[in-house]
Amino acid sequence: MSMSTILTRTITRLIFLPTLVTAVAVLVKGYAGAGDGFSAGVIAGTGVVIQFLAFGPRELVARYPSLRRAPLLAWSGLLLGLVTAFAPVIWGDPIMTLYPRPGEDVPHLGLLAFHTAVLFDAAVFLLVFGFIVSVLGTIGNRYGSEGADS
Amino acid sequence: MLLLLPLAITWFGAVALAPFDGRRRAVGVVAVGVMVAAFVALVRLGITVWTSGPVEMVAGDWPAGIGIRLRADGLGIAFALISLGVLLAALAYEVLGGVHERSLPSLVLFMSTGLTGVFLTADIFNFYVFFEIAMTASFVLATYGKQVGHLRAALTFMVVNLLGSVVFLAGVASLYHVTGTLDMDGVAERVNGAPTASVLLIAVLIFVAFGLKLGLFPFHSWVPLVYRDTWPAVAAMLSAALANIGSYGLLRFGAGLMPRELSLTASGLIVIGSLGILYGAIQAVSPRTAGEVIAWSSIGQVGYILVALGIGGPVGLTAAVLYSIINSLNKLVLFLAVGLRGWLVGAAFALAAFSVAGVPPSAGFFGKVAIFRAGADADRVPLLVLVVVGGALSLIYLFRIYQRDYWARNHAAPPSPLGARVLVLVLACGIVFIGLWPEPLLALSANAAAALTGGGS
Amino acid sequence: MILALALVISVLFGCGAFLLLKRDLIRMAGGIILISNAANLFIVSAGLSRGREPIYPLPAGERISDPVVQALVLTAIVIGFGTVAVLLGMIYRTYTARLAKAVDEGDETGRTPMSMPPEDRVAD
Repeated sequence: MSMSTILTRTITRLIFLPTLVTAVAVLVKGYAGAGDGFSAGVIAGTGVVIQFLAFGPRELVARYPSLRRAPLLAWSGLLLGLVTAFAPVIWGDPIMTLYPRPGEDVPHLGLLAFHTAVLFDAAVFLLVFGFIVSVLGTIGNRYGSEGADS
Repeated sequence: MLLLLPLAITWFGAVALAPFDGRRRAVGVVAVGVMVAAFVALVRLGITVWTSGPVEMVAGDWPAGIGIRLRADGLGIAFALISLGVLLAALAYEVLGGVHERSLPSLVLFMSTGLTGVFLTADIFNFYVFFEIAMTASFVLATYGKQVGHLRAALTFMVVNLLGSVVFLAGVASLYHVTGTLDMDGVAERVNGAPTASVLLIAVLIFVAFGLKLGLFPFHSWVPLVYRDTWPAVAAMLSAALANIGSYGLLRFGAGLMPRELSLTASGLIVIGSLGILYGAIQAVSPRTAGEVIAWSSIGQVGYILVALGIGGPVGLTAAVLYSIINSLNKLVLFLAVGLRGWLVGAAFALAAFSVAGVPPSAGFFGKVAIFRAGADADRVPLLVLVVVGGALSLIYLFRIYQRDYWARNHAAPPSPLGARVLVLVLACGIVFIGLWPEPLLALSANAAAALTGGGS
Repeated sequence: MILALALVISVLFGCGAFLLLKRDLIRMAGGIILISNAANLFIVSAGLSRGREPIYPLPAGERISDPVVQALVLTAIVIGFGTVAVLLGMIYRTYTARLAKAVDEGDETGRTPMSMPPEDRVAD
């Protein structure tokens, strides 16, 4: 493939970790500035997409075998999100109630606030990231096996 | 809590079953069990609604008017019950016959989640979100069978319905622009203060969107293409459960949110509906495959719903709800019966065909009577003739299929699993049973219509 | 501003509708993407007002822009993203199914099932 030159390969290899760090930063920063789980998931997903373009499906999976588990990631994100949304119903609050309630103290670790909204956003992040990577995997793997045949 | 139970059961069930292979019988049985639980929870919710009025909850403990409101009233419950029931029957049918794809049980549960959500929300944007959950599940479901024909049908279905969703989204955005709120009660209240011309435009947008989903007459061209090529159980789910979104949407947005615009366009709706009845019935008479005939028939049948909606008033709206429910049941049995071979199936098909034609003592008789009564109340004599002619035509085209598929067929084809055949026959007998004891259904639809006319609550 | 937005929306929608009418499945998908983005812009336009960012604490006496449409359009984008992924997956399945069929039976039209060769499509 034309994308796979020495330049693109080196650059994509260099930017992979920074992309993931940026994604996590966007996810965490969402409670003080612009950012949320969805955009974090898209950023991290784009990081993987660039790798895919530069290395092709087979080499990508050889480099990061854990990418095969992406559907599990999406699934756990969905489950986590549902649990966060429906759990308040168990003790009688409306669906999607977030804790601590307004006016109550939020426990902090440095600037990171422990709020159930963070949990929900993490779920969205997992879902989006897992979804992007698994779609890529479905199309990419089949494409890879076809390429081997022809 | 009660309000969320059907939603929670199907949603968690769908997610929990997603990683398992749906072709295994145990997974299918668990999925059916989840659906039964959700159905029971819905009936329980329905009893509360019928005895003590609508149940509602604002998500996230926000003040009302700001947060997203979930609400169960008579209309929503009626449609949720019939849709979940249809999905349950179609899923049980497929499990009895043997599931071919691993994702089917989970997708059916996702679709139930979307449908339950659509019918139990009081927020127009949330309506769109649940609607898309149901649609996305149905897009994947439509490919069930995986042959080129199924895929082509699924692509047609998907492109048309995505266009419908975009049109609906534009309608929702314009309603928000005009009224400044997304809550259904708020919209119903403030929409009268807006200029009629712009609200009329929005009403037309929403009508087009739901017309596309429902396969109404001028927007029907995708219906025969898709139902001819999809798997019978999936066709039953699409036409008997998913299409309910269209009739519910027309009722909710037309009669519930924009009654002024509905009465302005009433005669137009009646004309379109009547044309649909005739056109669908005439097209269905020409010989085709069974799936196509039922598809054309359903184009005619939704015409009746539109006519009843156009007549309006408590009588007309009750007729529309009743007809939607009975139409769903008929299509469910017809599509399921078409997919089977062997004795008992012909009987089930014939019973459903009588119901479509409105022959007593089937449930369809009461549907036709309700439309007839609404037409008589409104002094629309041509309409009465139309109901009779439409019924007669449907008897003709459905018995052509019966003749071809159940009399003339050589019995070389191996019969389908007994369980599936019995299920279809039981469903068909259910239609007759409703025809013999229609009072609960009549009360249910009157209650649903009252939810619309009683100030939109 | 309203006029410019209306023009952009109509051009996007028009291009989308034009592409949608093509027989090529990938162009059709492109048409759907353009049309759904036209709808997203339409939502933004439904709450178009200039003002400060709607983040608590609100500035007293100043206009703030409408936050609801932002939430709506974000949701609509996410849903659109999901459906487009499903659509592309389905097109890919159709493509492979037709390819298998064409190899089995010989393609009667003499064309490949989709006009572009697979390498270019995936690499783009």
